[in-house]
Amino acid sequence: MTVQVAAPLAGRAVPLADVPDAVFAEQMLGSGVAIEPAAGSVTAVAPVAGNLAKVHPHAYVVIEPSGAGVLVHLGIDTVGLGDAAFTVHVSEGDDVAAGAPVVTMDVDAVRARGLSAICPVVLMESGPDGTRDHASGDVRPGDPLFSWEA
Amino acid sequence: MADEKAGAILAALGGAGNVVEVEGCITRLRTEVRDPALVDEAALKRSSHGVLMAGTVVQVVVGPEADMIADDIADLL
Repeated sequence: MTVQVAAPLAGRAVPLADVPDAVFAEQMLGSGVAIEPAAGSVTAVAPVAGNLAKVHPHAYVVIEPSGAGVLVHLGIDTVGLGDAAFTVHVSEGDDVAAGAPVVTMDVDAVRARGLSAICPVVLMESGPDGTRDHASGDVRPGDPLFSWEA
Repeated sequence: MADEKAGAILAALGGAGNVVEVEGCITRLRTEVRDPALVDEAALKRSSHGVLMAGTVVQVVVGPEADMIADDIADLL
């Protein structure tokens, strides 16, 4: 069965290799696609339907029904920013529909601190190049981002 | 399971005496050690998805269970 992951936010889809963090660029956690948001603020939504196994201000994981986890990481080295750049709309453990708002990121506040606002979207434990049909260029929330065979 | 992993990671970091700080974020443990020469990088890699070392800062890539493992390691310090 093919599982489709939707873009969780608007921006420009680029390969994980372009992310300035070796954990993502070298696909240590798995394969996927990154999205570079435009200026302003952006609301990140659930990229698949499932359960929000982890919710941090700067990142979240949705476990979809096949048991696979999709990680959305908002910016790089943003773990310390908390409320200064992020507004969380849900609680850990919630079941969410694809497209449900999860976290709003103040992109300008992230960049003002000299940090990258790029958002890696990764299928956990998928290994290098474990996903396919990678989007590139401008995407809107809900657009196809990548897929895999579950 | 996390307990066991925390013990293995702590040993590979050179033991409790070598660890200054451990912080979990969603993808990795960020740790600071006293002496990087005491870190067994090969052993760390066996307990994780990857390791990034820069001076006294050692990042251990463990995925979303990082918070739990960080708490377990803190209990062992």
